[in-house]
Amino acid sequence: MDGTIGILSQVAFWGLYSGCIYILLATGLNLIFGVMKIVNFAHGEFLMLGTYITFFLFVISGFNPYVLLVGSIPILIIVGVIVERLCFRPILGTGKLNEIFISLGLIYIFQNLVALIWTDEWRSMRSPFADILINLGPLQLPLDYLIIITVTAMILVSLYLFLQKTALGRAIRAASQNRRGAMLMGVNVERVDMLTFGIGAGLAGAAGTLWAVSGQVFNPYMGSIPAIKGFAIIILGGLGSIPGAIIGGLAIGMVENFTAFTLGGSWKDAVSFILLIVVLVIRPTGLFGEAEE
Amino acid sequence: MKRESVLFVFLAICLTFLLLSSGCTEQQPSGDGGEVRIGVVASMTGAASTTGKDIWQSAELAAEEINAKGGIYVKELGRSVPVRLVQGDDESTREGGQKAVSKLITQDKVDVLVGGYSSAVVSAHQAIVAEYRVPYIISGGSSTSVSHRNDIDTSYMFFHRPNTDDSGEASILFVDEVVRPALIGKFGFSEDRPLKLAVIYQDSPFGKGQLDAVKNVIAARNLRIEIIAEEPFKMGESDFRTVLTSVKAKNPDMIYSVTFLNELVPMTQQARRDVGLNTLILAIENNDDPDYYKGVGVYGDGQVMESRFSPYAVPRGSTEMATRQFLANFDKKYGGFAGMMGAATYESVYITKEAIEKAGSLDKAKVRDALATLSMPQMMEIMKGGVISFSPDFRESKFDLYVVQLAMDQASGEPRPFIVWPDNLKDREFVVPDWYSPGSS
Repeated sequence: MDGTIGILSQVAFWGLYSGCIYILLATGLNLIFGVMKIVNFAHGEFLMLGTYITFFLFVISGFNPYVLLVGSIPILIIVGVIVERLCFRPILGTGKLNEIFISLGLIYIFQNLVALIWTDEWRSMRSPFADILINLGPLQLPLDYLIIITVTAMILVSLYLFLQKTALGRAIRAASQNRRGAMLMGVNVERVDMLTFGIGAGLAGAAGTLWAVSGQVFNPYMGSIPAIKGFAIIILGGLGSIPGAIIGGLAIGMVENFTAFTLGGSWKDAVSFILLIVVLVIRPTGLFGEAEE
Repeated sequence: MKRESVLFVFLAICLTFLLLSSGCTEQQPSGDGGEVRIGVVASMTGAASTTGKDIWQSAELAAEEINAKGGIYVKELGRSVPVRLVQGDDESTREGGQKAVSKLITQDKVDVLVGGYSSAVVSAHQAIVAEYRVPYIISGGSSTSVSHRNDIDTSYMFFHRPNTDDSGEASILFVDEVVRPALIGKFGFSEDRPLKLAVIYQDSPFGKGQLDAVKNVIAARNLRIEIIAEEPFKMGESDFRTVLTSVKAKNPDMIYSVTFLNELVPMTQQARRDVGLNTLILAIENNDDPDYYKGVGVYGDGQVMESRFSPYAVPRGSTEMATRQFLANFDKKYGGFAGMMGAATYESVYITKEAIEKAGSLDKAKVRDALATLSMPQMMEIMKGGVISFSPDFRESKFDLYVVQLAMDQASGEPRPFIVWPDNLKDREFVVPDWYSPGSS
């Protein structure tokens, strides 16, 4: 019995770890959608860039890869700001088709750019804590994953405090709730757009860093699948809802891992999307989504 | 608004440049008819891009060598003509393969196709090859569902690789003849205790073909090997933690993994590092690539792999010199080691040369007939009977396969392989690693 509990706890732990990566990715995606109402299919490429920037900084500096979050997040924020200014601002409000094609173009640009700079070979990196195990009851857990879960929680708390306690955060929330109303109240929504997009990209960059540190392999084309999962999560949790992205990310992480454990790894995507369909049938706006005005 | 337009133009230029720069690496055919055009089907982008690059570079090396010696003699033309390679990037997808092969045949008008890697990708474009009747020397696509299919005409397709039955049989014979006795000896198990094998396989024709082969060999030879877990995973998967946790709960003595390179590296690392599954992982030949040894690092120490061409473990004998020469030339040109798929593609270009010279023509039917009756000396990979020829039934060449075990090399900081099976090729004895834990007795 203890053995069964131990195994199920281990699977739940892997689900929690997967969920953390998904949460960071989906929270950024939802933040951008909440404020700008744009759908950026290239969001997975920010995660991919995060892995490569972490890898690059790790190789040239030799620093602890967790410290490199200090580098990867700001770099991705800058990349996000540039992408918003160059690509999305000019087409804002001109129709979803333009957004789709711009983001598809960005996927090619980022993939090919990274392949040109770092080649398209699969890469991985090794955390300095890779061999350290922590005993928690029946579980023997690698330290890296405990750090990843802790770091994710810290980033989410920081984001919460930023959105609740700062003027910029209030401006973002205002623009998310009512863009026109925020403008009338003197909020510079273009600045808010730029900042929001940057933060969203930064969160994806953080997910990329944690992806790389956990020993997962990466190459320039690895962003597409996480991006699809990210979209599924924000639809599941509710478009524009950050709590929805967190709960949705955790739900998908858990469902994927328990499905792999019970039905086999080839079923995990299918069952995740069945969950998505079931939720949408019961609650079309997602778990935390609100009906359109 | 004007500034935004300028930005758009700038972005469009960047996009065009990047798209063009990523897709134009092939040697363009001149189109004057005075050349042999070989289409190389390789996954230059996508999940299998590491292997794809190996395939392309090895084909380039073979073509350069052939051209340096005057090209391919075509009797019908009365002269030798140079080889021109045309790259067909299958993008590691079925649809990408169909597009690439269609273009190679209809636009680039290649005389022969070589390459192909994933069984799923190859099976998707076989119908196009069958329709246009272009000789195709396939060095991947190891599933028998690719080479033994009868729903299309495969008479123009020649398979220069062991099929899943061949590699499955060699791997399981190694487990039965070497691993099981070693575990009995080391852990004092009874002679009749079956070895508990878990199979973790890619959910694709390649993976399912291997699983079937493993089951068939065990049943046909009545071996004392019990399959205690069958765990499929999606192609391109990099998170195996839960699957490995599930396998660990079943106490296997060994894992039989059917993966691509980018899947095997994280699986091996996660098994020992994250899940604490200290068991042997037997991998399949397509992973015998320098990038595997680099990627797996210390976690590869003691692991085993069925192989037919290993960059770091060259079998002694008649193929040794040719192999070392190929590896040296590859290293000189590209700065690194070729993998197994590269070696097979290199040989495929030479097989093309031999077939065209035998046919005396670039006529596709004549080249096909020449391939069907081909018998040329083995080059680097060790062939049954020492010759490269294709079986009359499914046009498959037959290899002598071997198994390597990895041991850490302190100088390079990477594991290196040593042949441990069969007896006539082995460099050293198989050893049960110190870190290994068997399944329950």
